[in-house]
Amino acid sequence: MLKKMFKNKTEKKKLKTKKFIFMVYIIAFCIWSFGVTGCDNKVDNQTLRELDKSNLEAPSDESNKNSEDIAHAVDFNHELDGYKPLKKKYNFYFTYKTVHPWWDAVALGIEDAAKQYEEKGIIIDYEYLAPNAASAENQIKRLSAASLQGFDVIGVDVADVDVVTPVINELIEDGQKVMTFSSSDAAKEDGCNRIAYVGNTHNYEDGVELTEALCKKLGYSGKIVVLVGTKGAPCHEDRALGVQHVIAKYPNMEIIEMAYDEDIVEKAYDFTKEFLARYKDIAGIVCCNMSNPVGAARAVLEAEKEDEIVIVGMDHDQEALQYLRDGIIYALGVQDCYSIGFDTVQVAIKIADGLLPGEAYPEKTEETTTIIYQDGAKEMLRTLYGEMD
Amino acid sequence: MNQSQQNNINKKQKKQTITYGIVGGSIIAAILLITTIWVSNNARVSTNQAVNKVSEFYLEELAGRRAQVVSEELKNNFAYINNALEVLEDSDLQSQETLRTFLGKVKRLYGVDKFALIDENGIVYTEHSTTSGLSQYNFLSEELTEPIVRVANLYGVQKQVILAVPVKNIAFQDSQIKICFIQISIDKMLSSLTLQTNYNETYCSIYHRNGEDLAGGDFGNFKAGNNLLLSLMEANIDNEFSYEQVENDFINGKLGQISFNYHGSHQTLCYIPIENTNWMLTILIRDNVISDHISSISSDMMYRGVIQIAIIVLVIIIVFLALIHQSKNHSKILLEQAKSDGDKIRAALAQIEREQAAMENIHTAMGSGLWSMEFDEKAQMLSCTWSDAFREMVGYKNEEDFPNKLESWFDLLHEEDKAGVAKEYWDTVRDYTGEKTYDVEYRLLTKHAGWRWFHAAGRLSRREDGSPITFVGLFVDIDDEKKMEEQLEKHKLDLEDALAAAQHANRAKTTFLNNMSHDIRTPMNAIIGFTSLAAAHIDNIEQVQDYLSKITTSSNHLLSLINDVLDMSRIESGKVKIEEKETSLPEVMHDLKTIVQADITSKQLEFYIDTADVVNEHVLCDKLRLNQVLLNLLSNAMKFTKPGGIVGVRILQKGNAPEGWASYEFQVKDTGIGMSKEFLEHVFEPFERERTSTVSGIQGTGLGMAITKNIVDMMDGKISVVSEEGKGTTFTVSLQFRTCSGPVIQEVVPQLKGLRALVADDDFNTCSSVTQMLSVIGMRPDWTTSGKEAILRVKLAEEQNDEYAAYIIDWLMPDMNGIEVVRRIRGIIGEDKPIIILTAYDWADIEEEARNAGVTAFCSKPIFLSELREILESPFVIQSTKTEILEENVSFEGKKILLVEDNEINQEIAIEILQEAGFIMDVADDGSSAVEKIKTAKAGQYDLILMAIQMPIMDGYEATRQIRALDNSAFTNIPIIAMTANAFDEDRKAAFAAGMNGHIAKPINIPKLMELLREILK
Repeated sequence: MLKKMFKNKTEKKKLKTKKFIFMVYIIAFCIWSFGVTGCDNKVDNQTLRELDKSNLEAPSDESNKNSEDIAHAVDFNHELDGYKPLKKKYNFYFTYKTVHPWWDAVALGIEDAAKQYEEKGIIIDYEYLAPNAASAENQIKRLSAASLQGFDVIGVDVADVDVVTPVINELIEDGQKVMTFSSSDAAKEDGCNRIAYVGNTHNYEDGVELTEALCKKLGYSGKIVVLVGTKGAPCHEDRALGVQHVIAKYPNMEIIEMAYDEDIVEKAYDFTKEFLARYKDIAGIVCCNMSNPVGAARAVLEAEKEDEIVIVGMDHDQEALQYLRDGIIYALGVQDCYSIGFDTVQVAIKIADGLLPGEAYPEKTEETTTIIYQDGAKEMLRTLYGEMD
Repeated sequence: MNQSQQNNINKKQKKQTITYGIVGGSIIAAILLITTIWVSNNARVSTNQAVNKVSEFYLEELAGRRAQVVSEELKNNFAYINNALEVLEDSDLQSQETLRTFLGKVKRLYGVDKFALIDENGIVYTEHSTTSGLSQYNFLSEELTEPIVRVANLYGVQKQVILAVPVKNIAFQDSQIKICFIQISIDKMLSSLTLQTNYNETYCSIYHRNGEDLAGGDFGNFKAGNNLLLSLMEANIDNEFSYEQVENDFINGKLGQISFNYHGSHQTLCYIPIENTNWMLTILIRDNVISDHISSISSDMMYRGVIQIAIIVLVIIIVFLALIHQSKNHSKILLEQAKSDGDKIRAALAQIEREQAAMENIHTAMGSGLWSMEFDEKAQMLSCTWSDAFREMVGYKNEEDFPNKLESWFDLLHEEDKAGVAKEYWDTVRDYTGEKTYDVEYRLLTKHAGWRWFHAAGRLSRREDGSPITFVGLFVDIDDEKKMEEQLEKHKLDLEDALAAAQHANRAKTTFLNNMSHDIRTPMNAIIGFTSLAAAHIDNIEQVQDYLSKITTSSNHLLSLINDVLDMSRIESGKVKIEEKETSLPEVMHDLKTIVQADITSKQLEFYIDTADVVNEHVLCDKLRLNQVLLNLLSNAMKFTKPGGIVGVRILQKGNAPEGWASYEFQVKDTGIGMSKEFLEHVFEPFERERTSTVSGIQGTGLGMAITKNIVDMMDGKISVVSEEGKGTTFTVSLQFRTCSGPVIQEVVPQLKGLRALVADDDFNTCSSVTQMLSVIGMRPDWTTSGKEAILRVKLAEEQNDEYAAYIIDWLMPDMNGIEVVRRIRGIIGEDKPIIILTAYDWADIEEEARNAGVTAFCSKPIFLSELREILESPFVIQSTKTEILEENVSFEGKKILLVEDNEINQEIAIEILQEAGFIMDVADDGSSAVEKIKTAKAGQYDLILMAIQMPIMDGYEATRQIRALDNSAFTNIPIIAMTANAFDEDRKAAFAAGMNGHIAKPINIPKLMELLREILK
């Protein structure tokens, strides 16, 4: 009798355990489904571009409520994934658009990844070079020269998709392993046969998000100017396109001028001065690269119009972050350049080992952009430059 | 007063005493308590003041030292850069790979985060990368003319210190390297500073002069990354300081201090500039932390003081009471114990007396003497006592004769034993473990019995720390046992020596027989074998001649072996005597040259005889044995030197001989095969031959060197050898002879005084010795080793009008032969001056040519001073110093010889040889037969008798004596030559003593025999 009772109790307990495990599976599936959907939304640029304008919602608040966002805007705590490289030594060649602090941040990620590999006994030698001014022709020459030097992988931050794509394809045909990285990709849909891309895959969305913040700040009314960057550079052009799409949504908003400052602070400053002189009613400035928020802020400050004009822009320039802290700039989209560099090396090793995109790594490794407002500026300055005041 | 009253008084007194005790104790306790509180309070106030003052000095000192540490760190890093640039070589700049390797090495060597070079295009080269650096390193935007220190706020990384220096004249891949820099994490660089103390009271940090935080950590209440100057604006600064002062100090880089309230705590900040930077090192101390600590310590001290006093008072009372109680009990116990101890001591003394009496009896029975010593705590001896038994053993009666002092005994010790005994004594005394026993045997000088052996043994009683108290021991006379032991040991050694000698002799006999068996059988085998072959090919004359030649060689070798063995045997048996006769060393050396010249020529060896400093040319010595020594050495040298090699003899007179004596060193040197180190140790042992020489087939008996050594020993000389395999050997014989004439005349020759002479010889030694001789006779010699140079010197002398008066020219010189040199010199100087050719060779063949060329005279090497003097003193007429021996042709045709020989074979050989030479032979079979034949012979029937010695019936000596005693005057003086196998010197003497005219040893050496016959029949 007692034995029977005991058996019943045990069976009941087993049933309860089974129910619990089933519930856990259901919850886990839901979480997974949510994650996969989220990823899809973020990764598929084309889908986003085709979204109806009415689906683009502005941020509900103009502050960084969650300080975790700032802490994770740039992930300096990267560790190598579990992949075991096949060789003890690699030699990579990376070329990018122009000598600029933004790519110095990428370089730090590359350097740290190389250091971590060295601690594991794997030597990463690399060249990381660019011209002093962006030039697709110069980039082609560099790629051709690099192809003769027997590098394991050649990485390129595409200066101009139309000009550089044919050269990449030629190198691929010659048996070279070519990837794209950092800010600008030349994707399959552009006709490029590069193996993989690591970097910002959502430049358009960054342009959209920054412009929405600007619009909200201006009450969806006012004239704006746009500083784009380098003509033909996919990242700058994509962001500018996002800006145009958002402004087009709001009838009381207007882009009165767009200029290509070539990612040079001085040119951005000059353009802004000209615009301020030409248009007395400028309400906002959208900046699509790292240099132009600094140039724009300097000009606005000089014209003493910091209380009248709202500036939004990209990236993590120290001076720009100080302007953000001091309220001269309204918002900055900070890209995780460190992770771009770090992941570029990890993907390059897998490419060098003959692996193709798939389980080992995605064809496009996406890196994040975080919009930082004034209340997050100090923390950002501290995180990036150890600065508080 | 009754008992009750007495009790009351006692109670009262007791109560009073207790009351006084309580009151007194309370007063003392109160005084102590109050004093402690007062002292503590005063101490706290004074400490506060002192701490404030000290902290000011302390802060400045602390800041200064840490600033210096940072400054030194920077200087070191600049030194690293400069060191690295100094060792950078072109090979490091050949390719990207070599440069990266170099940069990697430097980086690891100096432990920096980055060591890099930057070229004119802003390209940064590091261990693993080549990157564009223009945007990353802001110092690249300026022209760098001197070293700089920068703190870089590089993206994402902790602040980095960059030390850069300008670089010149280094090119890499078509670009000029402009800058070299190292990058170090500021944390790493400042790791040598302790930025924060353990107790959070003192903080240290580094700020830029504009207040920017460089160290990146919290600085007291100042948060990391905050600008210090901006933060100080919020602080409540003490009246005596001002913010402006701090700001100015920072801007101007000046040392200073400030006290202020910040975030609720009072603090003092000290700042000091760091040399060669825009940095300020800051030290912060929070005053309240210190004062809190001091207050806490003071209160604690006061509290503890009160408790301490209470405990002390309590303990004093308890101890006092306990002592009284203990004292009472103790007195009682002591009384009882004293009584008990007295009994025990008495019993012990009785026991000791009994034991002492027993010990005395034992010593008397054993013949041993007791001694004892007492020591203080420092191991110094206090007293020493010798027992009467011991005194008696050494022959003394009482303490007066032999006082109780250590010296009494020590002075009698044998000198050889003193050190050992002293060591044993001190080892025992100083052995604080107490394990060692003193145990020693030694000789002591007794008063009546001389030196006697004693055995002493003893032990020490020690204190707890191990130091000695009493040292007690015994002496025992062991002289008889010792002497017995010595005798036994001597017997044993004698027996061992005898056994060793017997074994050695046995081994030597076996060795000798083995060697002889081998060495005799080897040539005998050749003789018998080739004789058989000759018999088999008797018709083939050429083959037979070849076999006979080989038989001759083997026979000669066998003969030399027999000679050597016999020689050795005679030497060892002491039959050989050294006979000193007047001997001319030049003659010995010239003879030597004559003897070996033929072999030297046939073996194509280069040969020289050289003399140096020979002052005494005539000495008393055994010429025969000296010749034998030198010939043995020379024969060996020639035997073991390959064609083209050099063999030489050098004679030097040393200046270390006593008066009437002369000391010489004869060196025989060759460039032959040399000897191994192993063989060198046995070279003078009989039958020893170098393995390589036996393998190479060079014949020898292995006795030559042993004989040589024995002869040298007999002549009281020394022989040594230096040899190296493949390089050659040098034997040096040192001998001392009595001089039999004065030294060679060393006076200056007046007619030659001051005149110049030229010596030309390719051998430096000859030049040196001849030059020295020329100087002795007063000339001014020049020398050269080159014929061509000689001619040049002659020309020069002519030009300078300081001509040479004599020329001594070597015949054979490598660059030009002597005759040609003479011809050319004659072309310059004409016919007047004498030119002497110096040569070690026979000059007969070239004499005519030489004289035609202008040679005045020949002189044979080695040249001695007397010879040189003679040549130069004599009028320079055409002459030769070589005495030509004109052989007198003596015809043997028709000469009649009586051969006295009992052995038929020997008869046959002798007859064949002598008849072939033209003699008419008659034979007698023994001595008596010979005597008879002579007696009956007619005058002119015999010209000479060849007499064997050992014969039946009558031996050769007796026969000779009888012939000499004959009345027949025609034959009493007939030449008789001993022809015998008795070949020793004494045999030779015996032959002459018997009246013979000559001696020739068997086997017959035909040329020698002919020479002797020619000499006697002349």
